[in-house]
Amino acid sequence: MMEQEKSKKIKELVGMANSLKWELGMGMHDSIVSSVYADAAQIARKTVTTEDSKPAFSLDRRIDKVVTSRWLGFPIMFILLAIVFWITIAGANYPSAMLATLLVDTLHPILKGAANSVMPWWLSGVLVDGAYLSMAWVISVMLPPMAIFFPLFTLLEDLGYLPRVAFNMDSLFRKAGAHGKQALTMSMGFGCNAAGVIAARVIDSPRERLIAIITNNFSLCNGRWPTQILIATIFIGAVVPPFWAGLVSTAAVVGIAVLGIVFSLIVSWGLSRSVLKGEASTFSLELPPYRPPRIFQTLYTSLIDRTLFVLWRAVVFAIPAGVVIWLVSNITIGGVSLAEHFINWSDPFAVIFGLNGVILLAYIIAIPANEIVIPTILMLTVLVTGMHEVGAGSGVMFELDSLSGTEGILRAGGWTLLTGVNLMLFSLLHNPCSTTIYTIYKETNSVKWTAISTFLPIVMGFIVCFITAQLWYLFV
Amino acid sequence: MENPLFTLLMGTGIIILLALIFWPGKGLLARRGKVRLSSKRVLLEDTLKYLFDCEYKGISCSLNSAAGNLNISADRMAKLMSQLKEMGLVEFEGSDIRLTDLGNSYALRVIRVHRIWERFLADETGVKQMNWHEEADIQEHQVSPEEADRIAARMGNPAFDPHGDPIPTREGKIPPFSGRPLSSLEEGEVGRIIHIEDEPNYIFEQLSAQGIYPGMQVYLLDKKEGRITFAANGNECVLTPLFASAITVKPLPREEPIQEGYQRLSELAPGETADIVGISSYCMGLQRRRLMDFGIVPGNKITAELQSASGDPVGYRILGTVIAIRKDQASLIFINTENEKLKEYERSA
Repeated sequence: MMEQEKSKKIKELVGMANSLKWELGMGMHDSIVSSVYADAAQIARKTVTTEDSKPAFSLDRRIDKVVTSRWLGFPIMFILLAIVFWITIAGANYPSAMLATLLVDTLHPILKGAANSVMPWWLSGVLVDGAYLSMAWVISVMLPPMAIFFPLFTLLEDLGYLPRVAFNMDSLFRKAGAHGKQALTMSMGFGCNAAGVIAARVIDSPRERLIAIITNNFSLCNGRWPTQILIATIFIGAVVPPFWAGLVSTAAVVGIAVLGIVFSLIVSWGLSRSVLKGEASTFSLELPPYRPPRIFQTLYTSLIDRTLFVLWRAVVFAIPAGVVIWLVSNITIGGVSLAEHFINWSDPFAVIFGLNGVILLAYIIAIPANEIVIPTILMLTVLVTGMHEVGAGSGVMFELDSLSGTEGILRAGGWTLLTGVNLMLFSLLHNPCSTTIYTIYKETNSVKWTAISTFLPIVMGFIVCFITAQLWYLFV
Repeated sequence: MENPLFTLLMGTGIIILLALIFWPGKGLLARRGKVRLSSKRVLLEDTLKYLFDCEYKGISCSLNSAAGNLNISADRMAKLMSQLKEMGLVEFEGSDIRLTDLGNSYALRVIRVHRIWERFLADETGVKQMNWHEEADIQEHQVSPEEADRIAARMGNPAFDPHGDPIPTREGKIPPFSGRPLSSLEEGEVGRIIHIEDEPNYIFEQLSAQGIYPGMQVYLLDKKEGRITFAANGNECVLTPLFASAITVKPLPREEPIQEGYQRLSELAPGETADIVGISSYCMGLQRRRLMDFGIVPGNKITAELQSASGDPVGYRILGTVIAIRKDQASLIFINTENEKLKEYERSA
């Protein structure tokens, strides 16, 4: 009885409160906020004493005047980012080679030998040639560039420079319906798309954040640069006289990266006007004061939070994929491996897009990391063409030190200039790696946006490759 | 190998076909999703809404005006009305049609969903202002009262929709209509247009041609024999009392008039400081909250500090931090540079 009475009274009270809201009018929230600020200001005036902080401001302003100036702003930005990429690419070569020597060239044969003596050939194949090798490969090619790129990038962030980049780039991104901070997540994506997707947390507007997440894959990541450089050197460099080869193939790679930026802007524009039209959107960007970077904290956070975090996810996906790669090349039906069945079946279809069955299969089974696409392609090509004198057996990924050796395998696999060009395009425009897909799901918590981020680039990739191939067949 | 030209044409055809089917919002698949509810129920509910609106505003309502409002024939409306009567939702008194208590609470439920949905679109989504009403007109027939309650609770049970109309409570309470003819406003009073009489037609057409529509804020400037001068959303208009009497306004005693006289933040030159006067009512929801979080509230000072390399956005110093604001946002923030205290502040700084 008491309870009933009580709940009835509460209901009455809530009803009264609700109807009193009408009396207060629409601007109530605004006036509350204003008065909170007014009170806070009054309290601050009474209690806080400030030293003359003008000098600190004026140094900041002087730096800002330079880095956001009409003439120097963009050149400074491009030079700084170019330096970061150059250090990453140049500096990652040695540790990568060392890791590969240790994990792939030395440890793999030892493990293989040990495994062969205690287990049947197929088990040692699955575990050592499949799971272990795939993991070792991912670690040796992924770890060094990320361990260099992320600390450098975090350093720029800590310094306070990155918000100025967003500030300068905003007008371009605004026209594409996106946020200036997308310039940062895009740059981060050049290091690693999964990290770029996580970095989109800095964008607090729901719509612009989704745009940044979905289009991050158009930034050519660390795992794809080596592929682009290799293919451009082999196929595009070969078209021009040797003197120009280096320049032309570099231009081709940069061209692909720029094409990625163009696609990213176009897709942002399209998304903000179609599927994302109804998402809430706001703009805000703080320009924090410059401060000396905290080197150790930067190293720690970028190595633990970014590098190891992403690497761990990649390894988790690489192990099962390694098993699959080994199995499809070694399980045979009627004397022919599953891989060959798929390649033979998909080849006619792939030719319409100027690719081949090997490439399609490689992109499906090498989904955990773009880094293992080329080793997988080489292994599959050798498997299909029956060149048993190269490579280490079916299901064992490999890479060759000599460029001409790699070229020989690819040419034997029926590759032409068109295949090379389309592989470069497809490498830019295909589904993100599984690590990134998983990260997108974690960040958006939505199957819909994950599916769109996954399938939109791959559909675009097929369309672009199709048009390129058919125009090629038409005119060449 | 097929002829590449043929393949190319085939491919383009397939791409176009797929786009037609899957295009978000406009494709066949998306259209199929938007299966309309039985149009009968929509008509019944719209009729109830119209009847409620008439009673709320104290306008007499006939079969013909209802038919005209819903854009259907009088015959059809007569059938609808008799059906509503059978359902016990309306009753006839001579030629007058009235809602029963049951009909009244039914109408209020529909209106509640409509206004909550408008509030939701304004605050939580990026749907454009001009599409709010249209969208809510569809949703009011589809969203259940329980779901609307949940949405309202999440937004803190708002009391008004974005046009300034009160949202009925869950129990079906709504404050009495507080509209007055425009001519009854005193000089300096602020109000919002809530209704424009559509009969006689020539007055309505004339007012539409002048760009006066419901939802506009009016600010009475001058009232003389034979003419009323007022600002509608900041633009000056002059009407005769006959025309002015067709406009119903709701006084808004607490609202600041939108004044074209105020400068906008976007006009502030780099290095200059101003007092913040307010944020335009066009800026709603998340964006408004965000600006206020930064300290953009009346009375605070704001200084234009630096321009980005491309000119837009501009960095403003407020409460000791620099935040970048885009030009189109800055043009929604009203400022005042003509202030003695401000000049003192600038001199001392």
